[in-house]
Amino acid sequence: MSHPGSRPWLARGYRMLLRVFEPEFRARHGAEMERLFLARLRDAGREGRRGAFLAGAIWDAVRSGIATRLDARGWTTGGGARLHRTGERRQGWTMDSVMNDLRYALRTLTKNPGFTVVAVVTIGLGIGANTAIFSVVRAVLMGPLPYADAERLVMVHGAMRTRGVTEFPMSPPDYRDIRDQSTVLEDAAAVFTFAQSLTGDGAPVQVQMGLVTHNFFDLLGVAPALGREFGPDDDRPNEQGIQPGQPGALPSVAVLSHALWQQRFGGDPQALGRTIDVGGVSAEVVGVMPPAFELLMPPGAALARDVEVWLAGRLDYDNAPRNNVFLRVVGRLRPDATLEQAQAELDRIASGLAAENEAMAAAGFAIDVEPLAAGITADVRPVLLALFGAVGFVLLIACANVANLLLVRASARERELAVRAALGGSRVQLIRQMLLESGLLALAGAAVGVALAALGIEALLAMVPAELPRVDQVGIDGVVLGFTFAAAVGAALVFGVVPAVQASRVELADALKDRGQASTRGSTRTIRNAVVVGEVALSTVLLIGAGLMLRSFVALSSVDPGYDAEEVLTFDVSLPFGRYPSAGERDRVMTELRRRMAAVPGVEAVSAVFPLPLDDDIMNGRYGLEDALSDPSAFRQAAYRTVRPGYFEAMGTPVLEGRTFTEADHADSTLVVVVDELLAQKLWPGESAVGKRMLIRAITPEPEWVEVVGVVQHQRSETLAADGMEQVFFTDRYFGGFASAWVVRAGLDAALLAPALRGAVDAVDPDLPLASFRRLQSDVDRAMGPTTFALTLIGLFGVIALVLASVGLYGVLAYVVRQRSAEIGVRMAFGAQAESILALVVRQGLGLAGAGLVLGLVVAVPLSGVLEAMLVGVAPTDAVTFVGISAVFAVVALLACWIPARRATRVDPVQALRDA
Amino acid sequence: MTTDPTLPEDIRNHLPLTPVVFEILLALSDGERHGYALMQAVEERTGGAVRLHAGTLYRALARLVEAGCLDEVDPPAAEEADERRRYYALTSLGRRIGAAEARRLESQVGAARAQGLLEGLERA
Repeated sequence: MSHPGSRPWLARGYRMLLRVFEPEFRARHGAEMERLFLARLRDAGREGRRGAFLAGAIWDAVRSGIATRLDARGWTTGGGARLHRTGERRQGWTMDSVMNDLRYALRTLTKNPGFTVVAVVTIGLGIGANTAIFSVVRAVLMGPLPYADAERLVMVHGAMRTRGVTEFPMSPPDYRDIRDQSTVLEDAAAVFTFAQSLTGDGAPVQVQMGLVTHNFFDLLGVAPALGREFGPDDDRPNEQGIQPGQPGALPSVAVLSHALWQQRFGGDPQALGRTIDVGGVSAEVVGVMPPAFELLMPPGAALARDVEVWLAGRLDYDNAPRNNVFLRVVGRLRPDATLEQAQAELDRIASGLAAENEAMAAAGFAIDVEPLAAGITADVRPVLLALFGAVGFVLLIACANVANLLLVRASARERELAVRAALGGSRVQLIRQMLLESGLLALAGAAVGVALAALGIEALLAMVPAELPRVDQVGIDGVVLGFTFAAAVGAALVFGVVPAVQASRVELADALKDRGQASTRGSTRTIRNAVVVGEVALSTVLLIGAGLMLRSFVALSSVDPGYDAEEVLTFDVSLPFGRYPSAGERDRVMTELRRRMAAVPGVEAVSAVFPLPLDDDIMNGRYGLEDALSDPSAFRQAAYRTVRPGYFEAMGTPVLEGRTFTEADHADSTLVVVVDELLAQKLWPGESAVGKRMLIRAITPEPEWVEVVGVVQHQRSETLAADGMEQVFFTDRYFGGFASAWVVRAGLDAALLAPALRGAVDAVDPDLPLASFRRLQSDVDRAMGPTTFALTLIGLFGVIALVLASVGLYGVLAYVVRQRSAEIGVRMAFGAQAESILALVVRQGLGLAGAGLVLGLVVAVPLSGVLEAMLVGVAPTDAVTFVGISAVFAVVALLACWIPARRATRVDPVQALRDA
Repeated sequence: MTTDPTLPEDIRNHLPLTPVVFEILLALSDGERHGYALMQAVEERTGGAVRLHAGTLYRALARLVEAGCLDEVDPPAAEEADERRRYYALTSLGRRIGAAEARRLESQVGAARAQGLLEGLERA
């Protein structure tokens, strides 16, 4: 029977639900049940009571399903073939009887508020932590990208295999070839972002510019909220040799971000058709993007997220040099194509390009494709998944504690349960009763958890690393609440089932005649010990993780990055190319800017650089020696830096050999560079690099010779955690006045210097915007962000786990002491010393803790590998961490054992024997 | 207990029947049916007051088969092959148990009538 127009997901859902049934029963009747369900669903739909029907069907499937499983085990009284009604003994899981049990469960829980509060808060902590982390995981890792059919969007990167370079940008001709030759990609677009000054209509400001191919927005499936998107005409290249803004250039058109439109034009629709001036190029505003639009790209692409002005590229796809790479290429897979097909095809295109271009062949040119969404979250995925795992552990530990509480309470309730059994409660009814109580505890815990999570999410968002995408969407919504509910149900089963089954095994006669202490059966004791060992093991694993993160944090904090960021201020001043087109003019202005800033009182050293360390911008090039001229594959890749004189002094970078740049360098034609120690080591190991010559290729089409005048300490630039690429520093005069990030060493507070520095810039050109004024240390802190974040959270969860596990250990021992007080009394009556009693209890506790600890250490060895991507300067199996955490745990366990042990020594033998 | 002690033990042990079981025996008393038809028959007879869900229905059928009250039988020849539905028919034990339950109910109704319990209702 097929049901056109019915909802296939309902059928799927019902089929899932049928898994509740005993497998043999399901195999026999499942298909017919599904047909019957669908037929009745259709009838119910016709009568407009589909909702009521579904609720009933779900309830029916769950209770009948569980019942078939109980039938198969013969757990239902009278066996599976029972047909009769038995009055009060009736097994039927009707709503009425459940409501009765619910009322009874509520009464039981409120009668014992101490137990209930402890259990609810414990579970609440576990569920709250899970809810908070899940809300982040969901938004960041599982949230859809805000682009149409985003699962078909892919990032297309360049790579240079022989130089170990990946995630590299592309040149305009590379992009054109990919777009034209690929059949697996439906379309491809390119984008490039940079900072530029926006003048006219108010104060000059620096804005983020996005240069795009005309099909970029169309490819993402996002249309401007106002006006039009770019068309092919907007993107047609200028005549060869003519730059935008120059006479004869085609008019530029711009699309504004919603935010800039609000700021600059007050949200006036008349802004369309107006002209703005960006970097000396005037462009007509033709559109405004929607407010929520942002550029979400993999962090390695180093693109600005909040582009304010979009320009259609007018790139010269046919004549631009292939070695001028800056474009990031985004593709859209054909609906029927796979990533593997795309990669295979791009491999063919890459080898075709390499076959035609010697330099590309020598570099091992290749094209890599990855799903856009995966690329965006690749860096944060390991941290979030590790945290998700950590909170899972916390919840399990919380469950273990509550399970132990329930086991203790079940022993205490043995007589009550025996009476219920005597009055006709079947075993299933007793289990159901206990599970209902667990369920209520878990639901109350979930309520507490959601409240804690709401607070936790706020705290979490205050410290998440800035590069986490889609953080604005983190919050508690229906899906998160659904997860919380599922976690609560899962938790209730985890902590409720064993105690419930255990409790239902009451032996009527035993329980009723034993008038003294409730008897604890051996199996219960074993289970409780196992539970404690388990939770100690889990918290050991968590603490190992926390210890490793702590070691990483310490390692990262003590890294010498090759500069001293503490007293350095930094800000951007970029000279508009339209206003200062010639290299000479730019150099003159930069020199003047530096002279004026140096004169500001409090400034000790000042210079400018591009790219600034840790600032994501990329400027790479090759370097090599004589042999590379004949064998281009001998070239290696370095990070290039263009710097004004005084750069190393302002950054506090130690000069290891030779000298740094002066204003006189590059005034004549001799080209001089400063290299870092890594490069000097590679090219001239064991020799002095000063005075040596090497090949570089930066602004000329072919490699040229430069002379090394100095060697400096390596500056960590890509990350703090690793050295990264070797570096070559050029005079900014060579690049033509391109250093836009100013660095100012000053003893004074940043805020105090800002106006004076602003004044110095104004004195040179009042239209130059000064942007992103900040302490360089804030960049260093940001680079430590993910580690700090992971450390704080894993540390927090580790401590919670430790406390919970200690409480669990304490609880078990306290109970044991109470149980054994008669025995202890006898021992004391026969002259046992307090010390030996103390040792007896402590030994038992430490035995449990030790077993858990060893188990935890064994499990931690493979599991800590999960953290590998986040560790700095420490191996996942770091011995110091493992030993240190064991020691911490031993001390805490000793304390947890000590208190009940002390109590044991105070047992009054007379009293204990009388009670026995 | 209102069960007649003179009944054979194999029947007496099953009484009183659950309402669902009784409805099933009742619906099958005039011939074999498959699950869906059974459900419709029950619903029709009770004017929609008893609506069986799949789980309850098939669990009860399984129990009745196990207890020997029902047999699974081949579908009638007219049935389309691809439907492959199971048909259920009363066994003699099933019929006797159903009848015993009906008699039990009848005697109770008779008692209620004798006590005048039904009069007010019947007049209304």
